[in-house]
Amino acid sequence: MPDNTTSASDIRRTGGRLVIAGVGGILALLIAAALLLFITLPDSRAFDARVEAMFIENADLTGQAEIKLLEILAQSGTAFADTLASYRLVIFVLLVFATGMMIAALVFLILLVGFNRRMAQIERAGIQVNSLLISREENTVYLNNLGFKLTDAAMETMSILAEARMDDDVLSGSEIEGMISGRSAADCEEAAGATRIKRLRDTLGNQIVSELLVKNIARRGYMLAVEKDVIKVL
Amino acid sequence: MKRFLLSLTLALACAGTAQAQCFADYKAKKDAPLRLHYGVAQIGGACDARSAARELTPRLAASGWTLLQVQSVFGPEGLDQRKNSAGQYYLRF
Repeated sequence: MPDNTTSASDIRRTGGRLVIAGVGGILALLIAAALLLFITLPDSRAFDARVEAMFIENADLTGQAEIKLLEILAQSGTAFADTLASYRLVIFVLLVFATGMMIAALVFLILLVGFNRRMAQIERAGIQVNSLLISREENTVYLNNLGFKLTDAAMETMSILAEARMDDDVLSGSEIEGMISGRSAADCEEAAGATRIKRLRDTLGNQIVSELLVKNIARRGYMLAVEKDVIKVL
Repeated sequence: MKRFLLSLTLALACAGTAQAQCFADYKAKKDAPLRLHYGVAQIGGACDARSAARELTPRLAASGWTLLQVQSVFGPEGLDQRKNSAGQYYLRF
C-alpha cells in the first residue's frame, strides 16, 4: 500500500529544494544570456579592423582625401559601437528585471502550491482554532468568529481554562472547582471539576456541531451543513 | 678645401654607383581613434619590400605608428607620381 500521508515539514523541505533549484536555473539562464550578449555584440575595434582591412586590400586607396574618408568611416563605426554599448546595458538591465520577475513568480508559485496543500490538510483536519475571544458581558465565546453562547458556570470554567493555557498550566478537576468556588483545592472534589468540564463540553460541543455539521433551519427542520459531493456511503 | 671637395664627389659617386637611392611607399595606422596614412620613405638597406618593412617598422613605431604594409620599392624616378598622395608623409619617416 502506498504511503499516502504527507507532513508539513515534507512539503516545506521539497518546496525549499524546488525554490533553490529554480532560482539556480534562472540565475544560470541570466548568466548565460549576459555572456552571450557581451560576447556577440561587436565592440568598436571590429569596425576599425574592417576599415583597416579595406585600406590594406585596396592598393590604390592612397589619396589623402580617400584616407580621410576611411578614417571618418571608422569613427562613425566607433560612434555606432558606443550606441551598441548603451543598448547592451539596457538589454542587460531588462534581463535583470526579467530574472527578478521570474524568481518572484517561481517563489509565489511554490508558496501557492504549499498553501493549497496546507488548505487541504486544514479542511481535512476539521476545525482549527485561529482565534478564541471570550466576551464576559455577552457570556459568549467566539471561535474563529463563530459565536457560542455559554451559561455563567460554563463561562467561568472557560475563562479559568483560558487563563491557565496562557500560563501554560494544566489544571486538575479539584483545582478548577477550587478556583471557581473560592475554596482551597484540597477541600474540593475531583468529580465536581470533572462535572464542570463535562457541562462546558456539552454546551460548546453541541453548538459547534450544530454550527458546523447539523444545522437547524428555523421552522423548517434540520440538515447536514456539508457539501453534497463530499458525502460517500460505503 | 680642394681635397675635401674631391673626396665628397668621390664619396657621392661611389655611393651612387654602389647603391642607387631606394624608396618605399607604405601604409600605416594608429589605433584609438583609428588613423591611417600612406607615406613614402627612403630605405637605406637592401632595396626589397621585406627589408624595407624591417627597416620602417621601428622608425614608424618611434612616433606611435604601426606599419600595415609596404606597397612597393622604387627608385628616385617614382617619387614624383607619389608625392601628391603621400602629402605630409612624403619622406617624413
